Amino acid sequence: MAKPAAKKVGKMAVFREDMKKSVLLLPAVILLFGFFLVPIFLTVYYSFTNMALTGSAAQNFQFVGLDNYLSMFTDPTTLIAIKNTLVFLVGSLLGQSVIGFLLAYLMKSKAKAFRSILGPCILAGWVMPEIVVSMCCLAFFDVSGTMNMILQAIHLPGVDWIYGHPMLTVIIANVWHGTAFSMMNFQSALDNVSGDIEEAARVDGANRIQTLIRIVVPCIKDTIATNTMLNTLSTLGVFGLIWALTGGGPGTATTTLPIYMYNQGMKNFQLGQGTAIGMLILLIGGVCSVIYTKVMKPES
Amino acid sequence: MGEKTVNAIHYVILTIIGIVFVLPLIWLVVASLDLNANQALKWPETWTFSNYTGVLTNPDDMRGFGIGLVISLVQSLIVVLVSGLAAYPLSRYRLSYKKGFMYTILFMTSLPMIAVIVPIYKMFLQIGLLDSIPGVILYLSASSLPYGIWLMKNFMDGVPVELEEAAWVDGATTMQSILKVVAPLMFPGICVVFIYTFSGSWGNFFIPYILISSPDKMPASVLLYQFFGQHGSISYGPLAAFSVIYALPSILLYILSQNYMSKGFTMAGAAKG
Amino acid sequence: MKRKQILSLLMASAMLLGMTACGGGDSADGGSADNSETETTSESGGDDASSGEKSKITICWRDDGTDIELNANYQQMMAAYEQWDKKDQVELDFAPITADEGNYFTKVALQLADPGTCPDLVCEDTFQMPNDIAAGYLTNLDEYVANYDDWNNGLYFESMQNMVTGPDGSVYGIPYCTDTRGLFYNRDILAQAGVIAEGEDWQPTSWQDIIDACAAVKENCPDVVPFWCNSGVATGEATSMQTYEMLLYGTGERLITDDGKWIVSSQGIQDSLQFLSDIYTNGYGPSLSLVLNGQASNTSAREYLPQNKLAISLDGIWITGSWKESGAAPWEGYEDIVGLAAMPTSEGQDPGTITLAGGWAYSIPENSDNKDLTWEFIQEMMKPDIYQKYIMQAGNICTRTDTAETEEYSSQPLFDIATEFLETAEFRPQNDQYSTVSTSIQQMVESVVSGTSPEDAMAQYATSVARAVGEENVVEQ
Repeated sequence: MAKPAAKKVGKMAVFREDMKKSVLLLPAVILLFGFFLVPIFLTVYYSFTNMALTGSAAQNFQFVGLDNYLSMFTDPTTLIAIKNTLVFLVGSLLGQSVIGFLLAYLMKSKAKAFRSILGPCILAGWVMPEIVVSMCCLAFFDVSGTMNMILQAIHLPGVDWIYGHPMLTVIIANVWHGTAFSMMNFQSALDNVSGDIEEAARVDGANRIQTLIRIVVPCIKDTIATNTMLNTLSTLGVFGLIWALTGGGPGTATTTLPIYMYNQGMKNFQLGQGTAIGMLILLIGGVCSVIYTKVMKPES
Repeated sequence: MGEKTVNAIHYVILTIIGIVFVLPLIWLVVASLDLNANQALKWPETWTFSNYTGVLTNPDDMRGFGIGLVISLVQSLIVVLVSGLAAYPLSRYRLSYKKGFMYTILFMTSLPMIAVIVPIYKMFLQIGLLDSIPGVILYLSASSLPYGIWLMKNFMDGVPVELEEAAWVDGATTMQSILKVVAPLMFPGICVVFIYTFSGSWGNFFIPYILISSPDKMPASVLLYQFFGQHGSISYGPLAAFSVIYALPSILLYILSQNYMSKGFTMAGAAKG
Repeated sequence: MKRKQILSLLMASAMLLGMTACGGGDSADGGSADNSETETTSESGGDDASSGEKSKITICWRDDGTDIELNANYQQMMAAYEQWDKKDQVELDFAPITADEGNYFTKVALQLADPGTCPDLVCEDTFQMPNDIAAGYLTNLDEYVANYDDWNNGLYFESMQNMVTGPDGSVYGIPYCTDTRGLFYNRDILAQAGVIAEGEDWQPTSWQDIIDACAAVKENCPDVVPFWCNSGVATGEATSMQTYEMLLYGTGERLITDDGKWIVSSQGIQDSLQFLSDIYTNGYGPSLSLVLNGQASNTSAREYLPQNKLAISLDGIWITGSWKESGAAPWEGYEDIVGLAAMPTSEGQDPGTITLAGGWAYSIPENSDNKDLTWEFIQEMMKPDIYQKYIMQAGNICTRTDTAETEEYSSQPLFDIATEFLETAEFRPQNDQYSTVSTSIQQMVESVVSGTSPEDAMAQYATSVARAVGEENVVEQ
């Protein structure tokens, strides 16, 4: 697929040739360097300073070594934020994958008309901008919102969702927003699972559940891995949804790492400490990213 | 259990999930048409379009939509253009650094860029790009560029090089062959990149919220956030109408592109919204 | 391979130069693009003035979501502008920040730091001033006030002048309002609940009295919220000052020791938090969905009190402003229904009651490029007739002595009581770390009202204050 390159030329020549071919890459490299890499380098740098948004450190900030990191790890809120991030992550992943798979699997053999109605219903939540999702959920889970109205209709007591069970509420909101993505992934994977194998298993006397676990799941395990990975990465970066819905509260109940970073860096004016938390987020994202890169193998 | 019963159960499960998923949106639409909307879904006593006309005749709201459109459109065009150009050498040439480059790009696609908001603010402060719409566009473009390049490169790999060779024989330059041969063939892919980028920035309220300070430069996403973040006793009707109008471009784009999207989905593996 | 990567990195760094140049160009382009997009641009200042004939004063204050026409500050500015002899040369550019109180100061700081977008006039809560002075964000007004007769001839209360004086002894703002806090109660409800007799004033003498009153209200008027105080992060400084500090100071403790160390663990903190916890666990407070959002103060003052749905509200005197004819929630006859009682100390110990006073000031940011005109405009706004109209509409306590003496002002309902409070009022620490500590206070209070134990919340407070001000600046008692 590539134009044959002349063999056995000096390394410098190869390099020069590469550069000539790379002209078209230039705009991308400039943009990425200026607005992607430089900010990341700055994050590293700022996280070692006492830079502040106001107060004397706003004028002259100083290098403070590892202070921001030390104080970050001695602050119990950091642990709470990490724990919240994990709960939010696992909850979202489970919800999105299980419901997404269930939808894809059950829809497979259903009438086309039914599918074409159900599909958009699920997709709608995905297509909605994040802030609209927050707003809908804010109203839906309000003490006198639709959810409690339904509960009352079936004679169950109303629940204070947003303030009584805030983490559950933001997870549900994120699941509502993200399930369609998993569903589509699983749909295209399941389309490639041959019906014959399933049929054969059924003939051999395996029941529905057994077929599902022994035949179908192994066939789509790559998709499961990719889907999980992508959902992990996008869930780690969720900020707006939570911020607009609960603001990280009440207290610290839904303070995930990105919210914690905003509170510490912007609301408490401690930019340096905020960037140290930003570094932690980048680090976690980076580790997940490396695993993801391994799974995706760009040059295979 | 007979096959029929099982099938019926499936339909019931699917229907319930479907209803649960669509209920909040039904509330949104109904509330936007209700003169006295509140949090709960109810049959409006008085149906009205006044919520919509209120938003559509409010110059501040309309300006917000306009600014939002400018930001998202320009950003999407930049991303399509820049990533399209970048994808060409990555897809067509043998480059010594290609593997490393692609790994880096892939790595960058998945970094949570929210983490660098403070340095971005500081950097924009230094170079005077704060409170500037082009500044927001540049930053948003850069942050969605890695994914754009990644997608574009994969789409371009799917366009057979033989077709281009014919054009070269006719004396076409690289640019000409990109524009005349490659781009039309990978149009679905271009649409995927465009739509993905557009919906990403259309929904983004945090970046403009931090980087923009003048009220008259705020895009619709920030206005919406300020609406319900601020007003404790929310007037739900106008808010719902605003949300519906605000969500329309995302929905329209999605519907228009459904074919491309599903194609793009299988081609690229994934497109996360 | 390795070396190629290094080389490509080098190549990329060479492009950084291109990037900055490109960035600059874009920003210039952007300016004109913005102009066509939006009719007015708020890039204020001299540069723009040269192109147009009018120079512009950009004004920044907090838009709390109320209709701008009803905003007292806005009306004051417009009134001053209308009768200003420089009206034809100057244009006002309103750039309110729409945010809850918690986020307002963040957005203000983001703007003050930036020469490009900095407003010319900013409304500063006086507690935020030491911090912004230390950051170099505010203009030293000494030279301006030197020629400001009202300032030098005792037409401003001295305590108010002190409030806007920085640690260097210089003036950094013109105080335009002050306030005191206390317990606003609905006479009808308290009478119905049997707490007071018809026509009698209520004066609790300890926290227990308040709790008892709440219990009586809850029992006799089950649909009424017994007690409301700002309790969330979203209500920002109101939570710190109206709620927490009113309690803490009532235990006899303070936030900071005389030698400038923040007290992060003490019996007083614990007692204050316990009081809040008692209120909420007994169901005397409003539901969290009402009180933890940015509009909580407006909800209580403009809906719950007037609609007889709230018995006691720990709040500031300005809430009466919205009940006036011109206010956001006119309430006819409120003077007959609402009473104002001083907040008692925890067990009634000396001095028996407690209140805190704060206030706001007009400041000129250091990065303003229109300082002289802005200063003139501030003087216009503070002219007695305009100012009096403003302060009465805002429902706040005035900073000018001549206004205080007018019959119209001093005869406002409840103002005799609120102004009397001022004589013994306490102030917040004038310390450039206070505003940061305050955000930790808000987080602590929100944690307690949403179920965290007072001990845990105090431990968290200790850590986060130590993080913000340094280990060496905190102390446990």
